[in-house]
Amino acid sequence: MDPTRQSIDQVLLVVGISAYITGALVLLAYFLTRRPLLRTIGMPIATIGCVAQILELGARWWMTGVWPLTNLYGSLSMFSAMAVAIFLIFAVKYDLAFLGGPVLAAAAIALGYATTWNEGTMPAVPALQSYWIKIHVPIVVTSYAAFMVAACVSAIYLLKAGMERRYASRGLRGVIATAGGPKLDVSMNAYAATADDMLRTSRDETPAITQAATAGDGLAQWLAGLPTLARLDVMQYRIIAVGLPLLSLGIITGAMWAKEAWGAYWQWDPKETAALASWIIYAMYMHLHTRPEWRGSRTAWISVIGFISIMFCYLGVNIWISGLHSYKM
Amino acid sequence: MEARSRNGLGASALASLHESWDDLVRLFANVTFGVFLLAVWAVLTLIGVVIDQGKDPTYYAQNYAPPLARAILRLDCDNIYHSAAYIGILGLILCSMAAATFTKVIPRRIPRLNPVKIDAIPLHAKIAVDEPVDAVRERLVAFFSQRGWQVRKREFGGTEWAFADKNNWARRGVLVAHIGFLIIAIGTTIYWAKGYSGQFTVLSGQTATIPESGAKIALQRFAYRIDPIRTKSGIVYQPIDYVSNATVTGRDGVGRQAVIRVNHPYDVDGVDVYQSTYGFAIDFQLTKDGRPVAGPDHPLKEGEAFIVDGTGRSIQYARFVGTIDRATGQPGLDPRPNDPGVVIQAFDGDQPVGSALIPLGTAVDLGAGYRLEAARYILYSGFQYRYDPGIPVVGIGSFVLLAGLCISFYFLPARLFVLVRERAEGGTEVGIAATTVRGYDVFEERFGEIVAALRRTHGVKTTEVPAAAALGTA
Ligand code: HEM
Repeated sequence: MDPTRQSIDQVLLVVGISAYITGALVLLAYFLTRRPLLRTIGMPIATIGCVAQILELGARWWMTGVWPLTNLYGSLSMFSAMAVAIFLIFAVKYDLAFLGGPVLAAAAIALGYATTWNEGTMPAVPALQSYWIKIHVPIVVTSYAAFMVAACVSAIYLLKAGMERRYASRGLRGVIATAGGPKLDVSMNAYAATADDMLRTSRDETPAITQAATAGDGLAQWLAGLPTLARLDVMQYRIIAVGLPLLSLGIITGAMWAKEAWGAYWQWDPKETAALASWIIYAMYMHLHTRPEWRGSRTAWISVIGFISIMFCYLGVNIWISGLHSYKM
Repeated sequence: MEARSRNGLGASALASLHESWDDLVRLFANVTFGVFLLAVWAVLTLIGVVIDQGKDPTYYAQNYAPPLARAILRLDCDNIYHSAAYIGILGLILCSMAAATFTKVIPRRIPRLNPVKIDAIPLHAKIAVDEPVDAVRERLVAFFSQRGWQVRKREFGGTEWAFADKNNWARRGVLVAHIGFLIIAIGTTIYWAKGYSGQFTVLSGQTATIPESGAKIALQRFAYRIDPIRTKSGIVYQPIDYVSNATVTGRDGVGRQAVIRVNHPYDVDGVDVYQSTYGFAIDFQLTKDGRPVAGPDHPLKEGEAFIVDGTGRSIQYARFVGTIDRATGQPGLDPRPNDPGVVIQAFDGDQPVGSALIPLGTAVDLGAGYRLEAARYILYSGFQYRYDPGIPVVGIGSFVLLAGLCISFYFLPARLFVLVRERAEGGTEVGIAATTVRGYDVFEERFGEIVAALRRTHGVKTTEVPAAAALGTA
């Protein structure tokens, strides 16, 4: 690349990263304080970062003629751009700006890490020279991004549900301390056993938080201001429902590419196998989510485990295990 | 008498068998059990990612602690995807899916139109209207029809119920997803039953045969392209292309000129032959005291060895060096054969006893009067081949599965139960409850909007909104 072109690339990259870092801080502040002004500032910053990054990838392609997603830099860069794009779509549609802090922070980390793999532009190795790379990689990376956003929702769910349990047990302990006696002990056990059900079926799923908030507990007031658990669960489901079909399509297009390039659609290569394992975990999520007794904290944990397995598939396999998919061949 | 008691015994045995079968079906149809099976599948799949697959036993002995290496081999973890455990778990998943599909998915997802206890459904509302029952009924039908709901009326014990369905067709989404998965399983089984695959190498100027189909591949020429690319961390030699020019003879006995390029498999009688590797075979010449003696009987490929007669020593051709760095005499970075050489390794039995880098066209002294010359290199091409008649079936299954996922996730079937009754104090009461295939939370907002619209507009005049008629659980 000539120097002018290189500097355009650099400027867009710097704009992207700075927007993510600033956006993450502003939206994190919004998450903590709920000042509408912070949301008004943070959302456009997130949009600027996302657009700058997409432009950067596009500019690279246009200026060098080499598809930018042939190395880990391009791929991680697309991952963070898509995560922010998915966040923005959901945030606008379902008023989820509070998610911006964690999502943008993760995008900034991914992009920062990506730059350590930024080798400049290189033509792809023969195994990657195919139009399929333009179909398969963006689909797969977008599915990873969706799972990342879903895992952020799951983490917030688990935080709120966990704090509810903590407030509930603290409240009950308080009652036991004043009243004493085995009778109340029994009621506490009964509560512990049905805590999850109560979270789901009663209108106020977090009564202990509400009670503590009414009593003036600052943390409880902050928690009470988060979306309800039911809403967080529905959001997490909706985002995974974007990710899972994309991951399925990603695996299918990968198989089509493999069939065309290597004659066999499935070779038990570590990358495709790790993607299959993640796919199975999200299929488990979908099934358990149909069961009322599993919907809630347990499914949120599965979403977190699913995302860990996605990260293993995305980065772990590239770093620790080599195969057809390691970008360096 | 005896016969009758035997009959009785038979019948009770049959009944208990029937019961056990029912228990088994119930277990397999349980979603939690199915998910447990999926979890085992995921774990087995991940074991295969972490542990290298398909290596020979010495590899595991060298790379893992002895007890672990033994466990890997004993539990088939070296070839886990073809192990009995892996195939078994897939079989159990299919059984579980089939049991669930017949006993749960079909009946539960496609339920009959039945009356419900409105108050007992978490999403419910009651609206009082100042109008006669019949007029309200008619208006309600119009209200739901206009909004794209499919309205059906049924009478139960003299009471008329209206059922409004949205995306009723999408109730089959799960069935479609499950069938898709089954079709994929059938497609992969077809390969197991009828397909085959393998690999072979062929030197320029020679011919190889695919044993299963008898197709012949005569390699005329192999060519590759490797370009030096300048990157931030220095020059990297990047492979760009490799291609074999060959004459391929299929079942019809007619030789056809073929260009088999990486990423572009060549089809001979339904068998895909694809370019997978290449290498440099070396023509070694062995002499003793200046006279040629029997060395390797064919050009050696990387990793191959030959025994030097009468010495107990073997010589392995370890690797090809494209460019020897003239300044250092060591292998250079450029893999292209500019100034080529080969690295050989000498073994005494199993023990390595030394290695040497020999420039091509020169000889190295092996001791005891033996000299070995790496005379010239011959490019060879490596192919893999595969015959898989299950591919179209797997392809269809994949898209059916994907369609099932999209239907299940993006089209939420919801049913509204509407009961219009006269109120004791005059006027009409509309009771409405909603269920979906995915619980109540996902539909809460939408239900709120519907009830609000019902209350607000469409001529359903409300005189009273009882407190208990608020959304959600009473
Ligand atoms: C392990 C064996 C399996 C069993 C026992 C099973 C059973 C079930 C059942 C009973 C439901 C309906 C749940 C309800 O409506 O209450 C369901 C839903 C579903 N199943 Fe399966 N299934 C299995 C495997 C699979 C597989 C391998 C797939 C492939 C993707 C799959 C895809 C789906 C989908 C997409 C849904 C809909 C989920 C939703 O609506 O959120 N199932 N399954």
